[in-house]
Amino acid sequence: MTRLHIENLQAKYGEKLILNNINLSVEEGEMIALLGPSGCGKTTLLNALCGFVPISQGDIFSGDRVITHLPAEKRNITMVFQSYALWPHMTVAENIGYGLKVRKVKRAEIQSRVNELLRIVKLDNLQDEKVTALSGGQRQRVALARALAIRPDVLVLDEPLSNLDAKVRLNVRHEIKALQKQLGFTSLIVTHDQEEALVMADKIAVLHKGEIVQVGTPEEIYNKPNSPFVADFMGAENRIEWPTEKDGFSDSSHKITLHQSSNNEPSNQPKQVYFRSENVILSTRQTNSKIQKEEGLILTGHIEQSAFFGSNYRISVRCGMHIIQVDHTSDLPMNTPVSLQVPNHALYIYDNIVENKVHQKSTVV
Amino acid sequence: MMDSKSTLTTSFMLKLKHAPTHISFWIQCSFVVIFALMLIGPITNLLLWTVAETWYFPHALPSQWGFKYWQQVFNPYSDVSGSLLTSLLIAILTVCVCLLVSIPAGYALSKRSMPFRVFWMILFLIPQAFPNLTVYMNIARLFYEFNLNGTLLGVVMVHSVHGLMFSIWICVAAFSATDPMLENASRNLGAGPLYTFFHIVLPQAAPGIIASCIFVFLESLDEFTGTFFVGAPDISTLPLLLYTASMEGNYQIASITALILLVPSILFMLIINKFMKPEMLSKLGK
Repeated sequence: MTRLHIENLQAKYGEKLILNNINLSVEEGEMIALLGPSGCGKTTLLNALCGFVPISQGDIFSGDRVITHLPAEKRNITMVFQSYALWPHMTVAENIGYGLKVRKVKRAEIQSRVNELLRIVKLDNLQDEKVTALSGGQRQRVALARALAIRPDVLVLDEPLSNLDAKVRLNVRHEIKALQKQLGFTSLIVTHDQEEALVMADKIAVLHKGEIVQVGTPEEIYNKPNSPFVADFMGAENRIEWPTEKDGFSDSSHKITLHQSSNNEPSNQPKQVYFRSENVILSTRQTNSKIQKEEGLILTGHIEQSAFFGSNYRISVRCGMHIIQVDHTSDLPMNTPVSLQVPNHALYIYDNIVENKVHQKSTVV
Repeated sequence: MMDSKSTLTTSFMLKLKHAPTHISFWIQCSFVVIFALMLIGPITNLLLWTVAETWYFPHALPSQWGFKYWQQVFNPYSDVSGSLLTSLLIAILTVCVCLLVSIPAGYALSKRSMPFRVFWMILFLIPQAFPNLTVYMNIARLFYEFNLNGTLLGVVMVHSVHGLMFSIWICVAAFSATDPMLENASRNLGAGPLYTFFHIVLPQAAPGIIASCIFVFLESLDEFTGTFFVGAPDISTLPLLLYTASMEGNYQIASITALILLVPSILFMLIINKFMKPEMLSKLGK
């Protein structure tokens, strides 16, 4: 069942268009991550859902209910704020029970629900503590418990982990995910961290300049990015423009070839090629035997820099005008000539848009 | 040899280090004493007058000491206790009026989206921009037409105009210092705007509002000019009584009244010191 449905949503700050043509459906019990760089409008989307930002066009449905223009308090969508926004003049229990108190639930009932939530978020015995006395991780849990207390239709989390230090963040990340599985609440989480989105979400919606550019499971987003932006954002940082004459590959020691298995299209059509550093197979000239088949993208170049990343080395290889980042298990000296191969399945190839059509005619090879 | 030399140098260094502290210590001390004399000097004179039964001109000290005038002042039928009650009543009413206006106004003005925000803020300053006497004389003239002269209501209104400047500006600062996210969080959990205001916003702004109340209370208690023009002779507050007493040469009564007026000021200053937060002061007038 569709819990939340957003249709053609548009939001503006004054004349400035922040969100445009947003379409998204969230199923019951699903967790969707809104992923995008800062300034892409993801937090504005959450605020629009919660009723803090007016919507200039489109509709939001919660179940069968149209909530587009309802005031914030009538939506039954609760938020875990980035800054937690806990009330400093109340105790932990008062913070968590606030939503129920507003709904005039009986005192005993509030007490038992608060205790239940305290147990769930593992904060037993802290109910009489002032929230100002808590640590960051504990405040985060109070904020989560407070938002869950009223059993919202949808829970939205605004970068919930960004204020925590690295170790606590991993813990809380797992806890939120586990809670979501256990309690089955429908949720939207905003993040700019692709790893966080991959780990936590059932589905990811990638936002770019106020529009959703791709929606899919984490696997789909990671393995089949539908646009250069998504590929780049999901970590395929190596980018090559094809064809490459002007990039100086005419230099005899640096070569590039692209062999594609699906052969219908002419290989000189302008396009952009993206791939991840971890998918590059690096071989020094001596051990050239590694490249067995003439398949995928093959480049030759020399090593310009090497950095230790803990589990591996990140090696920068200069190939003509390009610097290609490669993950390799061992350190290699500078200026070593190497050849690189990227298998076809790890290449994300996008046709260039109109502007390059002219360019194509003038540089036919 | 080396050893003795080094100890010499160290002792010399120590002296160098301590010498300026000694000097600055004595300078500090003398400053404190001078300031204390400037502050306490006049008050000592006042204190002496409160316990002097007879004190004639050339004598440095009163010739007869006693608490006769205290009994006179605290006699339930004396002018002083009546004026004290009137003063307190007026001050409390003024605080109420100022609160009623400045809480909603302060909240509205703390929102950046409020139209003509600066204009409204300035409006409450304008009465202070003109000489007090001119303003109060004109108010008195106006009040005659409405039969407000010599009434409690008239005096409370005059005091409120004066007090609103403090209460509005401090309340705006207090509300501006609250985090709008806290309001959003409350709305988010199902609370309407009114519920949110009373349960979230007001408690956050309470220290500032209390501070503004105290300012208004003290200002009202000390107010002379406005009360004189609008209230006298029907309404007699402590400052008016003080004025008449000293005009009549009754320094004992005047001094004791002044002392009574001093008590709430000192008490409340201590409380304000506790409530006024530096963050809030930084929002003043923003």
